[in-house]
Amino acid sequence: MASSDKTINTDVPEKDVFAIHFLQSLSNLTTQNPFNSPDTTNYRARKIKKAAYVSMAKAAGGSSRLWSRALLGRAAKENNKIVRFARRKRKVTWKISSKRRSDQRAPEATDRLRNLVPGGGTMETSKLMEETAHYIKCLSMQVKVMQCLVDGLSPK
Amino acid sequence: MLEGLVCQESLDMSVLERLKWLQQQQHQLQHVVSQSSNNSPELLQQILQLHGSNNDELLQGGFSQFQMIGSGFGPNYNMGYVPSHEAMDGCISRTSSCQMDPVDAMDVLLKNGEEDKPISLKNKRKAEVKTREEEKTEKKIKVEAETESSMKGKPNMRNTEASSKETLKEVSEIPKLDYIHVRARRGQATDRHSLAERARREKISKKMKYLQDIVPGCNKVTGKAGMLDEIINYVQCLQRQVEFLSMKLAVLNPELELAMEDASVKQAYFTNVVGSSKHSIMVDVPLFPLDQQGSLDLSAINPNQATSIEAPSASWETQSQSHYNTSSLGFQY
Repeated sequence: MASSDKTINTDVPEKDVFAIHFLQSLSNLTTQNPFNSPDTTNYRARKIKKAAYVSMAKAAGGSSRLWSRALLGRAAKENNKIVRFARRKRKVTWKISSKRRSDQRAPEATDRLRNLVPGGGTMETSKLMEETAHYIKCLSMQVKVMQCLVDGLSPK
Repeated sequence: MLEGLVCQESLDMSVLERLKWLQQQQHQLQHVVSQSSNNSPELLQQILQLHGSNNDELLQGGFSQFQMIGSGFGPNYNMGYVPSHEAMDGCISRTSSCQMDPVDAMDVLLKNGEEDKPISLKNKRKAEVKTREEEKTEKKIKVEAETESSMKGKPNMRNTEASSKETLKEVSEIPKLDYIHVRARRGQATDRHSLAERARREKISKKMKYLQDIVPGCNKVTGKAGMLDEIINYVQCLQRQVEFLSMKLAVLNPELELAMEDASVKQAYFTNVVGSSKHSIMVDVPLFPLDQQGSLDLSAINPNQATSIEAPSASWETQSQSHYNTSSLGFQY
């Protein structure tokens, strides 16, 4: 497995980077939208979730990962801001032809994975695996940070 | 040399052809072996230096079983034994470059010159399999120098792997004489597309193995589909956890002021200010140990935090004394 670690680079920054980004985004949230109505818990929860994902994407290396780029692009679109990242050239042809051929196949597990991982719609399968690995690592880190925060803020 | 090789493979290939060819070869190659053993050091040097000029003679003397592609060896290179080589599938490998071939030929030359028949046949088998493996990686990498160096670097590894696995099979296609054929595994096609497919599939399985290490509980399930299901399940679990925690935070959040301003952050590094108003509580979190869950230094939290806030936003902004200090890293690890 040592060789695969060499070829697949899935470094994830430490917890504090995630924490900083998350708390920053949370503070942005609270300053923007005063929480002054009773039934906004769901709304708040959704906002916090979005903030969590965006901060995770930023913390995990903003535009160096396909999934983070897709996440940030999606978030920007929802805010009606156009964000463009410098795109590397994509090798597309083989993947597209195989996609067309496989349109008639039953929904496979890889298709489900594509739906889960942001930006997974147009990746090659091998690239999808790499992105999934990094995404899983970042997600678990984010969960840890949030858990710490919740534990810290919950009443003793 | 060749006869021994052929004998071993006769089970797999069309026996009649091979036997006929074998008898031919036995006569022809007896003296060739002796020649090659004499010439091997010279052959080595010459092959190393001159990539094309003398090769015809040298190789014709030493290697009848390898047919090389034209660029390195001259397009008209033709072993005397070519017509009978259609049966001699065990020795051919297709390459798209020529630089590999002299090195390969050299290796096999050496081996042939030095060793006995049964050993040499094994080496030849390994060399052939090696060339096929090389050919595959070459397709992927498409750098001739790289394959050459990798071939030099890891011949032993590939030999032991490959020779134990592969069974040599008759090549399905018999193109022109100046092509090198691919040695395929039993029951697998040899055309370019399927090889590329195979390479791609191996890449994917390698990455799946890496994923298997990351996702806990993936070791019990084997097979691509099961593992993928596990992975999908895990990702969904994580996403649900994020959602749940954000819901929890949303409940806890109204009582907490998370506004941060850089100037006041440094001042309020360790200040604990408890909001006097009923509904708004300012909590400062001086230490936020991320590695320990559930042990925190927190000043106070409003017991009414479950209720929603009625106080207007003014209460939030006026109490600017307490801010979370997060950027100055009050975290303890």
